[in-house]
Formats: sequence, C-alpha cells, structure tokens
Amino acid sequence: MKTSLLLIGLLSAGVAFAGPPAPKADGIESEGYTWNAQEGEKIEALQLTGDKVNGEEAYEICGACHLPSGAGRPDGTFPQLAGQHTTVLIKQMADIRAGLRDNPTMYPFAVSLIDPQELADVAAYIEDLCIPTEHGKYEGVDAALQINRGKQLYEKQCLECHGKNGEGNKQKFYPVIAGQHYKYLLRQMTEIRDGKRRNANPDMVKVIKPYSDEDLVAISAYQSSLTMPGSMCKPKAGK
Amino acid sequence: MKHLVIPLVASLMCSVAVAAPDGAKLYAEKTCNACHGPKGDKPLLPNYPKIAGQNAAYTEQQMKDIKSGARNNGQTAAMKGVMHLVSDEEIKALSEYLEKLK
Repeated sequence: MKTSLLLIGLLSAGVAFAGPPAPKADGIESEGYTWNAQEGEKIEALQLTGDKVNGEEAYEICGACHLPSGAGRPDGTFPQLAGQHTTVLIKQMADIRAGLRDNPTMYPFAVSLIDPQELADVAAYIEDLCIPTEHGKYEGVDAALQINRGKQLYEKQCLECHGKNGEGNKQKFYPVIAGQHYKYLLRQMTEIRDGKRRNANPDMVKVIKPYSDEDLVAISAYQSSLTMPGSMCKPKAGK
Repeated sequence: MKHLVIPLVASLMCSVAVAAPDGAKLYAEKTCNACHGPKGDKPLLPNYPKIAGQNAAYTEQQMKDIKSGARNNGQTAAMKGVMHLVSDEEIKALSEYLEKLK
C-alpha cells in the first residue's frame, strides 16, 4: 500500500508536465521517415531488464481500460495485451509517448509511466500474462467462409512475418496477433493500409496497400481464430 | 405459438422499462474511472474535470455533444475515443449517478 501511495505521488508529479496534448512527430507521411529508428528512451528501455513485480504495480493504471487480465475489450476499443512481446509493447508505448502513433485516449496514460525502467517493467509483466481465449472474433453467419478465405490470404503474404500461429517475431518487433480482437485487427490493418497509423512499417504498408476492405475482413477473421500453443490461458476448471 | 409470443414480448418490454442501467456499474465498465478517478473526484490530469456532484443535466449534454462531435475543443479528443461505448440511455444513467456523488 505504501509503495502504491508513493507511486501515485510520483505519477502525479510526472503528470504535472503532461498537461499539453500529445506532440506530433514526423511519421510515415514524412519523407525522411525511418521505421523503428534506433533512438530515444525506447533503446534504453529495451536494454533494461524488466521487473515484473514493479511492472504489476505500474500496470494498475493500464488495467482500468485493458483490464487486469490484459484482455482489453472484445469490441476492439482497447486491444488485448497479454503475452505481447516486450519489444512490441515498449516500441508502441514509446511511439505514443513521442507522438509518432496518434492515440489521444491512451496518451495521458502512456506518459504517466515515469522512465524507461518503468516501460521495461510493465512490458515484462504484460508479456508474462497468459493470452485470454474469450476475445472478439468474427461473428457473421459466413464465419467459416471468411476464415477459410482469410487463411489463404494470410498464408500468401502475412505468415512470413507474423507466423503460422500469429506469434509474430520478438527480435523484429512484429506483434503477437493470436488472441487479438477481430475488430481491433481490422481497424489497425485499415489504418496501416490508409496511412493513418503513422508509426507503421513501410514494408507492411507496401504489402497491404492493394487489399480491399473485404480482404481485410477475411484476414482479420482468420487472425482472430489463431491460437498460440503454450501461451493461451487454461480453460477454467469445472466449466 | 402466437399466443405464447405476445405475452413474452410484452413481459420483456416491461422488464426493460423497469431496469434502468446501473450508473455505478457503467462508470467502471465504460472506463470513465480510468481518467476521472474511481469516484469522479480525482482526474488523471489537472486539465481533466472533477465530475462528482456535477449537475446531471450539464454532464448529460456534454457527453452527448462530445459523442456527436458538436463539442470538440479542449481535452475532448481523449474522451471521444470511448464515447461509442455508451448509448443515450446509459449517458443519462451515468449523469444521474455522478450528480449524487459527493
């Protein structure tokens, strides 16, 4: 309790500087954009060892929206976070803090983490959580068809980077997508295709550009059906 | 079958009319607490409002305006991201709940 009071004190001290709206850094719309530039607090956080116990405490503020389990919301408003690679979590948090990924709802929470160590701590805690299995999936009557079509598209161009089971690639900052909400996946892919996610990887933008809205629906339907063996939460006993 | 369906529908409608949404539950579930504090009196940032005890009619109108985009100044960009989570009926219940908080 004492430490959480201390934390609140520290947080509110940090928050005093966090009044102005998010800065706007040069992203994919700018000529000199380098994806995942190796600079700033991100590099510092990546080199630190995260402390899961501190991370759990720091996560308290995140849990109001992303839930204590990390599950987010099936309607896709807030993504599922549990089991995500620390590299991805640190990069996304740092990008939001730097104004490279626009998210006015999340921004004030992201900047309330005090330093690179706390970024590393909270990322280590989240990565260690099991992936909840009751996430939002595609629910149309044609689900089987969509998933089947999405699988074919996914295997052609997405699998190489995002993996057979949606496990991504920790070293390359490619996210885990298994267990992610259908609607969140669809929104992010659409925003990446349309240049609205300003911290996107240009290689992915090139691949996704020709896809129609219907293609993205099918791919999201398939992705949200993926499971990562060994990382999913165990079903509750007695149910 | 028809004879069964009509009273069933009627009873469903009645129960909907009686059970107004629970403001306290909505306040936590719709993530209001994340920015405005668990009791509406400790906002995350100094430029977010304390909303506990605020007049229900005022809160209700602000929420509706932020949701529709009629109000888009100040910190509303942060709040707009979650406003699709609440219906007009839920906005009303939340406003009434908040007015009663001290």
